[in-house]
Amino acid sequence: MATTTLHPAAPAYRSRSTLYDWLTTTDHKKIGIMYLINSLMFFVAGGILALVVRVELAQPGLQIVSEEFYNQAFTMHASFMLFLFIIPILAGFGNYIVPLMIGAPDMAFPRINALSLWLLPLGGLLMASGFFVSGGAAAAGWTEYPPLSGAKFSGTGTDLWIMGLTLIGTSSILGAINFLVTIFKMRAPGMTLFRMPVMVWTVLVTSILVLMATPVLTSALIMLFIDRNYGGHFFDPNNGGNAILYQNVFWFYSHPAVYIMILPAMGIISEVLPVFSRKPLFGYKAFVFATVGIGALGFSVWAHHMFTTGAVFLPFFSLMTFLIAVPTGVKMFNWIATLWRGQLTFATPLLFATGFLMLFLIGGLNGAFSAAVPVDFALHDTYWVVAHLHYVLFGGSVFGVFAGIYYWFPKMTGRMLDEGLGKLQFVLMFIGFNLTFFPMHQLGLAGMPRRIADYAASTGWSELNTVATIGGFIIAASMLPFFWNVLVSLRSGKVAGDDPWEANTLEWATSSPPPPYNFDHLPEIRSERPVFDARHGRTTNH
Amino acid sequence: MSMPPRSRTGSGPLIAGLIIVAVVAIAAIALLAAGITPERAWNSFFPVGGTGGVTDRSRDVQRLYDIVFYIAAVVFILVEGLIVYSVFRYRRKSTDTDLPPQIHGNNLVEVIWTVIPTAIVLVLFALSWQTINQVEAKVPAEVHVRAVAARYQWSFDYLAADGKTILFTQSLPVGEDGGLVLPVGEPVLIDLRSEDVIHAFYVPKFLFKRDVVPGRLNQFNFTVDEPGTYRGQCAELCGPFHGSMLFEVHARPKAEFDQWLADQIAKANATPAPAPSGDAAGPVIQLAAQNVAFTSATLEVPAGPFTIHFKNEDPAVPHNVEIKDASGAQVFKGDIVTGPIETDYRVSALAAGTYTFVCTVHPNMTGTLTVN
Repeated sequence: MATTTLHPAAPAYRSRSTLYDWLTTTDHKKIGIMYLINSLMFFVAGGILALVVRVELAQPGLQIVSEEFYNQAFTMHASFMLFLFIIPILAGFGNYIVPLMIGAPDMAFPRINALSLWLLPLGGLLMASGFFVSGGAAAAGWTEYPPLSGAKFSGTGTDLWIMGLTLIGTSSILGAINFLVTIFKMRAPGMTLFRMPVMVWTVLVTSILVLMATPVLTSALIMLFIDRNYGGHFFDPNNGGNAILYQNVFWFYSHPAVYIMILPAMGIISEVLPVFSRKPLFGYKAFVFATVGIGALGFSVWAHHMFTTGAVFLPFFSLMTFLIAVPTGVKMFNWIATLWRGQLTFATPLLFATGFLMLFLIGGLNGAFSAAVPVDFALHDTYWVVAHLHYVLFGGSVFGVFAGIYYWFPKMTGRMLDEGLGKLQFVLMFIGFNLTFFPMHQLGLAGMPRRIADYAASTGWSELNTVATIGGFIIAASMLPFFWNVLVSLRSGKVAGDDPWEANTLEWATSSPPPPYNFDHLPEIRSERPVFDARHGRTTNH
Repeated sequence: MSMPPRSRTGSGPLIAGLIIVAVVAIAAIALLAAGITPERAWNSFFPVGGTGGVTDRSRDVQRLYDIVFYIAAVVFILVEGLIVYSVFRYRRKSTDTDLPPQIHGNNLVEVIWTVIPTAIVLVLFALSWQTINQVEAKVPAEVHVRAVAARYQWSFDYLAADGKTILFTQSLPVGEDGGLVLPVGEPVLIDLRSEDVIHAFYVPKFLFKRDVVPGRLNQFNFTVDEPGTYRGQCAELCGPFHGSMLFEVHARPKAEFDQWLADQIAKANATPAPAPSGDAAGPVIQLAAQNVAFTSATLEVPAGPFTIHFKNEDPAVPHNVEIKDASGAQVFKGDIVTGPIETDYRVSALAAGTYTFVCTVHPNMTGTLTVN
């Protein structure tokens, strides 16, 4: 039963002000919310840069920006979206929700948790400050391959990018250690590993990936920094270095990073689908094993980003890339089986979760084309790849993020988001997304390379580019009802109560928002759905 | 604690259905209005608009693409169908007060939907591996060319049988007098060399690309089997003007190619022609090319012959000035010169009106010329 009547004694001291309270807090819930706000700000900035790119490409000819700025725009768009929006917003959900889900009062290391948070805006601003130095921001793509990212071809913006990303990486590593210790050491009595919500499992696997992969990225960044500033030759082929080495080290992080960016979103979906279909997640253990499997296989596929370099052993990486489709497929079938014969309530979280299923499926299938190495020779570095990665990271992760926001906003604030505005956002975003990114498949097949500022009218690429640009503006429009919804609902949204969705997991067993110490009382934990059990009694053995 | 059922099977499915029908209808009308036939739409799902590849190896890639495409299409329809069916079929009704059956899983179906995808991807892997071996196969080549990539310029060294001696260098990447000229039906070997950063040799109609990595020799074989001109482009970001780094492949019948090659070698061995004299005719207007762009977008000249004093400021990059009338027909074409260099183009009298000037090598470089 989720009731809270107890109250702690008067606080030992009064905080000076709300602002001071938030800036100095070590409460995982406040930190989690600040993670979300920080991430959404970079989401908006990255989105504006994406619109610059789309407007420039809508028609042949250079209309609004120079080639130099165009390259900065798509480089910083990707850097913001990947490193400062998707990864941190999922870490933010983890921060807010993991201690609640396992019945803990806070993260294991609250001060380190605050440090992880505050490194993010610092790293982000450092990265973004490149726009104000001579030569502009980093412009060699978010992958920053040398020699193009070397001192000879790229300016100070690249150094700021390296320093910013190193700070962001440090934040990730600290956060991962914190999550692992929290999950292993702070679970409530009865919360065995196989009773943890799937969301917690995905954060666990993600944290292991971060811990193993991020230091490798940091090493690549530091080597690049030494090459640029102190006469190093790690990646300089004219002095015995190897340009491909960077790509190996970079992708050894950045491929697992794709799973860092999708696994927690899968976790969110796996919480939302059971609640809104009133059924348990189909095949909980299979799902956990699939998550672990993806994490393990994720370390053996990095070179599929490098098939065209001529420097990798093609059959091995082709096989591993095909194989990683299997655990992903298992998850897809488990999600559909969760919906199957359920009683579905199409509140906004379920709409976004269904959108995730429909779009992530496409992002999986078009990935299979690139696993077939010779087909990848045709499609690599064309707009096909841009379509693929957006179906995975936008159709997948970002739809998952919005499912999570609509699902947990009542817990975080005590108020419901408006359903009408939520549905409007979903419809606009779903249509805009497909209009933007689906035609990119055809553009890629027609031979349009990525990262070009301009193309000739005779290529025949303008029609589809115009469609994609219109879609981009529809996506931008879909953000207006969202932000309006948040602002209005914070003030006057419907009061949520403890458990507005009739949900399953422990965060719904406390008040909305929860007190600083999280729980006055925990229900008995005998399955992965303790709150469900408390409501209905145990229905089945498993 | 029990709450009343939240969901009602109200107008939700109707609205969702209407939105879907409206979107599909608008999309269909828009496609038809833009003159896109269903056939063209279908072809857009295949490489280079369904026109297919033009090399021996590209046909193997195409076959693999088709297999992956049809398997993906079947899986797409099946799984997307299951999602849509569930969404409409299993909505909560107002009579649904009891919980649905609480099914936690089923080992048999888990095994089935693990084994079947595994089998599919293993088959795809076997086919891919086979195609890798076909595409990567090394064969003795008749023609050996080294493609040299430098920001933002391709050039092509035709190599002798020893694979080292340069017979001659084709320094213009595009145009009638330029491009990578290859014989039809003869095996070709391409070496890739970069002078600066990483580039990629990409010809969409070959269904192939390979990175040009400094400090690394990448080679590949193929045989073009259809005569024609095919566009190529750098596919690895190499700097601000990456999008201007174009080239063309001219595939010509064997006899024609042999004649062309002999001519080029003879020309390369002949003494270079004297530089054009600087005598100017008529008024002189100034034009420069810098960073793969013209420095002025508009030029104005009086009627009568005139001279363009053209300054190419891009080191190692060829540019020229070509003038086209309103219908796009060429009325003047200046010699292509590799910068840094200055030259004079003498243009005979043009009828009053508006013309376009472009760089033949870089079609993105354009401007407007007005003759008063």
